[in-house]
Order: sequence, then C-alpha cells, then structure tokens
Amino acid sequence: MSEDLNSQPWGAQDRFQAHFIVKTGGQIFDAEFLAKTKLKTKGHFATKKVAGIVWVGGNIAETLNSDSDLTNMMVKLPYKDAQIWIEPTRNGIRIHGSWKSSYEFGISKELFAVYDKVASHVKRALGSPPV
Amino acid sequence: MHNSESDTFSQTNKREEFCDSLEKIGVGAEVKQIDTDEVEKGDYYSKHFTNTPAMVTNHGCVKLRGSNIDIVQIIQKG
Repeated sequence: MSEDLNSQPWGAQDRFQAHFIVKTGGQIFDAEFLAKTKLKTKGHFATKKVAGIVWVGGNIAETLNSDSDLTNMMVKLPYKDAQIWIEPTRNGIRIHGSWKSSYEFGISKELFAVYDKVASHVKRALGSPPV
Repeated sequence: MHNSESDTFSQTNKREEFCDSLEKIGVGAEVKQIDTDEVEKGDYYSKHFTNTPAMVTNHGCVKLRGSNIDIVQIIQKG
C-alpha cells in the first residue's frame, strides 16, 4: 500500500481567533466598514517591529488613519497583534486579528485597548455614542 | 507511586479561558451559553478578504460590560 504524499489536512486545527463584534441591530453594511492594516516594519525575524501603520479599505479606514492616538498605541504592539481586520457581517461589524495557536491565544491590556478604540470609531460611524 | 499532579482537573472551554484572560486585565466579561447569540447564526466573515477560511468551528461568545465591543466570539479554524 503506497503512502499518500499529498494528504489533505482536515478537522479542527490548533488555530484560534477572537472576533470583537459591534452589533448593528440587523442593519447591513458593506464596503464602508471594510478595512485592514498595512504595516511598515523594521528588523527581521524575532526582532521584527512595527514602525508605522496605514489602514486600507472603506470610509472607516480614513477615520482610523486620522486618529494619531490609535497609531501610537498600535506601533507598540507586537508585529502579529498589529495585523487587524475589520469586516462587516449580517449581525455586526467584526474586528479581529490573525490566527493564533492555543498556546498564544489570549489578550493583553494593550491589545484590548486598541480593539476598544477601533470599536469606538465603528460605533461613532454607526451613529451610536461610544462608551 | 506518587507524583505532584492532582487526581482531578477542571475542564474549561475556550470561551471560559478567554473570559478569564479578559477579567485578568480588568475587563468586565461574562460567558454566554453556546449558540444563544444572534452573531453565531450568520456568516462569520464578509468573504472580501482572501484569507477567509473555508470551514470554522464556533466556540461560543463572551459578553462584555462597559466597552465599545458588544460581544466577543471565539472561532477555531477547520
């Protein structure tokens, strides 16, 4: 019996994501709430650090780019944590980072502060007062 | 024979673990029963990005208090 050299992985993998959701109450939004970070970095491998951040995407990206406090908070994050996506779905606007293993999966105070600040801009754009 | 490991252990799920890590950093959080929130019913991704996974597992939600974020959903790839 020959070994399958191109075996396909299947089933749940050791990759987790936490989606930080701002609910929209059933309203459907599209490209205006779509954004992701584009990072400028310095260094390589373990010493790779974030030097600058630009949000690319819909109208929300322009709002986030104009917040210098948010940029200052984000350049202090580890490279992997500074990769953030904003996606509109049927039940809410989702803000999430990259996949992490169960060992890495968790949240720091600094990372939560960034997600909360991004969510405050999303809330304001939805017409609700931020907390 | 003796070892230092306890005979019993408490099994926690991913959303309970994440809720604990939120509480450790001072965020008010509460674990919700799985499949009880509307965000678990629809699509989890907009599918506008190329890195959208084809298949995911829902691990439930954590409700936040005093934050701009209404709820956190835990998702596993595959």
